[in-house]
Amino acid sequence: MSAEPNIRTLCIDGVDISARSDQTILEAAREHNVSIPTLCHLDGLSEVGACRLCLVEVKGARRLLPACVTQVTEGMEVTTHSPKIDRYRTMILELFFAERNHVCSVCVANGACELQSLALTLGMTHVEIPYQYPQLPVDASHPRFTVDHNRCVLCTRCVRVCSEIEGANTWGVMGRGGQSLVITDLKEPWGDSETCTSCGKCVQVCPTGAIFEKTRAGSKVRKHPEFLPYLRIMREGEQV
Amino acid sequence: MSEVKTLATVWLDGCSGCHMSLLDMDERLIELSSQFQLVYSPLVDRKIFPERVDVTLVEGAVASEDDLKKIRKIREHTTVLVSLGDCALTGNVSAMRNTCGPQPVFLRVYQENADLHRQVPTVGVPALLDRVRPVHEVVPVDVYVPGCPPSADTIYQVLSETLAGRLPNLGGIAHFG
Amino acid sequence: MSRTIVIDPVTRLEGHGKITLQLDNAGIVQDATFHVTQLRGFEKFTEGRPFYEMPNITARICGICPVSHLVASSKACDAILAVRIPPVAADLRRIMNYAQLIQSHALSFFYLSSPDLLLGMDANPEERSILHVARSHPAVGADGIALRQFGQRIIEMLAGRRIHPGWTVPGGVNEPLSAEKRDQMLSMIPAALAAVERTITWFRGSMEKFAAEIEVFANFPTLFMGLVNDHGLAEYYDGSLQVIDSEGNIIAGELDPARYRDFIGEAVEPFTYMKFPYYKPLGYPGGTYRVGPLARLNLAGRCDTPLADVEWRKFRAMSPRPLLSSFHYHYARLIEILHATEKIEALLANPAILDKHVRATASVNNLEGVGVAEAPRGTLIHHYKVDENGLITWANLIIATGQNNAAMNRGILQAARHYVQGDQVAEGMLNRVEAVVRTFDPCLSCSTHAMGRMPLCIELRAPDGSLVREVRRD
Repeated sequence: MSAEPNIRTLCIDGVDISARSDQTILEAAREHNVSIPTLCHLDGLSEVGACRLCLVEVKGARRLLPACVTQVTEGMEVTTHSPKIDRYRTMILELFFAERNHVCSVCVANGACELQSLALTLGMTHVEIPYQYPQLPVDASHPRFTVDHNRCVLCTRCVRVCSEIEGANTWGVMGRGGQSLVITDLKEPWGDSETCTSCGKCVQVCPTGAIFEKTRAGSKVRKHPEFLPYLRIMREGEQV
Repeated sequence: MSEVKTLATVWLDGCSGCHMSLLDMDERLIELSSQFQLVYSPLVDRKIFPERVDVTLVEGAVASEDDLKKIRKIREHTTVLVSLGDCALTGNVSAMRNTCGPQPVFLRVYQENADLHRQVPTVGVPALLDRVRPVHEVVPVDVYVPGCPPSADTIYQVLSETLAGRLPNLGGIAHFG
Repeated sequence: MSRTIVIDPVTRLEGHGKITLQLDNAGIVQDATFHVTQLRGFEKFTEGRPFYEMPNITARICGICPVSHLVASSKACDAILAVRIPPVAADLRRIMNYAQLIQSHALSFFYLSSPDLLLGMDANPEERSILHVARSHPAVGADGIALRQFGQRIIEMLAGRRIHPGWTVPGGVNEPLSAEKRDQMLSMIPAALAAVERTITWFRGSMEKFAAEIEVFANFPTLFMGLVNDHGLAEYYDGSLQVIDSEGNIIAGELDPARYRDFIGEAVEPFTYMKFPYYKPLGYPGGTYRVGPLARLNLAGRCDTPLADVEWRKFRAMSPRPLLSSFHYHYARLIEILHATEKIEALLANPAILDKHVRATASVNNLEGVGVAEAPRGTLIHHYKVDENGLITWANLIIATGQNNAAMNRGILQAARHYVQGDQVAEGMLNRVEAVVRTFDPCLSCSTHAMGRMPLCIELRAPDGSLVREVRRD
């Protein structure tokens, strides 16, 4: 048995490329400077295909497929941008904005938010879907951090980093569909959590203004999740 | 030489910040003014919205019965309707009362935070809508300009384009917030 | 034949306003009301927000004076944190506060009122706008644009943006000032001083044309209130509150703004969304008071910057007692632009203004905080209550313009009685009634923590409701 991964040849946007058999379309695309928008993906964390922004067309597949969790296959023909895909991506983004209360102008992450940036990149200037205006809580019980569920997009990066990198497993998800909520421990106030180590990794990985540091509010918020792949290597002793 | 277009500006439920950003064009406003006639605006004394306006900039969300009547009339008499700023586009801060509705607002403002004659005003003032709404939920919009407020440069771009008869797309150029 | 006259909207002011006049059978105006027709509800929907978001959220109360809200709000948050902010941060906030005073007053004087003051109250309504002033009086137009721009550019250089500059934060400010920007600001001062001094000169010279208006534009005794410093001089950032009567007697001094509820009450009337603050010891409406430029110039006989002091004294020399006509708000506004410009220059001259440590940090240490500042239109108070985690449980805002509400209503009645008689409904008369409101430079978005605008028409109706005559402003 060879320890070397196999090579696959596939076509992305009309260009033939090669990739390892264990790579996803997203990884292969990035290696070849093809950009696909993402939100729940973060280098160093496992892939979940939660946000669906990375949907791509694969010839022969009946539906659009999420590039981050779809492995490359030999002879695959992938289209990453088309009018249909662009429309889907914009609609997904509109659904995010309509689902909760995203008031960019007064948000702590204004100017440093991946959701806001995506709206700019994808050219989304307004939302056609009716806004839901749910009543969602703000949990400020932790001495250093606050979670505002109005700004959460349920990307689950916080859940994954807390589980995979820190190992505390403080963050989890409860509920289904529109009732989903990220929770600390068994839906206890974050400040009462017995598992949280206050490491702040969830703050660094949160793409929006949902989880943030209290004292930083008002300052220019800059997240630094670049350390994650390194931490992963150190933890697991393997290539990412 | 392009013709002089008729321009109107209107504020609904907003803070006037978008209008201030328009004025932040400084001298460019005066330069541009040779291309338009300001026929209706908080800055001029025309009291009736004209029969036909080429371009109307609308700031603010739709929050009261008056806003509703007004925006419908404006849409009817306007060729190019521009939704200016986050309040008009998304509801923004004006829509923050939507999670509780107008009743708790009245209770706080006119009962808890008042000392004398506690009551909800109803004489000569319009009823508040149950939900504050973006402009395009009420009438079709031709141009969307994000920002809180949109920068003076962006507004200058929008004005130049619409006065020249084009419909600019601000996607990828201006962002919320 | 009794009838109702409705002026709807009031133009060339910030926000939504409508005026109703009630005339009796003899055609005499019996009652006048100023309706503010919108409400947003900041005092309620901010519940549940972390307190340190309040500056940025309350900035959206108004696009003309967001800095006022940012400053008052940040000070309320400072009180919740129980911090004493670095002195340089207080001075930087002061500079931004003065810059806003300049741009807002320039907007009010040049963009909103100069059409009346330069072209006359009876000028063709089609031409009563800043765009026409810029054409017919280009030098004045240029000065107006330049002064507003001066204030806005200072704000932009401090905060990175002109409108909703969230650089003022709980505990101080976000970024220190660089030497380059400081030098740039200083280089802009001489032109600004020259522009406002020119304006004061021609305006003072033109005041005799408005002798009739001065007599009846909200010209009556009221109390006056504002912040003063330890020397009894006008103070725009800190200080204590002082109340004087129309004779100039100090009836209450060294009032702690944090205890404002002891001496300021709010009444509600059914015809407007804007509430009526009043001075509690004298009740309502006896305790009606005015705030803003006229009040601030009445509270002190002089000021502590040289050029403005000369003008301040000339202003006060017009009467041995406080000036009571609201028309003089215009004149007072110009003097404040001059004073604010000199203040900015003085603050920038201090080398410590470049200090790097500009923010104090802490957690929730008080469950309540009050912040006060002098906004362009008058005293502004933000009052918050929070829970242990710093989430807002209650908020109260006393807005500058609101404190002039009673005086505005009385002022409209006074002017309408003078200008509206019998069957005459001349357009210039309507404009004068509106112009009374314009002297106060109301910020109606602020005052109801909301905004809006409305159309204008006057209907003369017989007692049976039939339409006798209609006058529209086009």
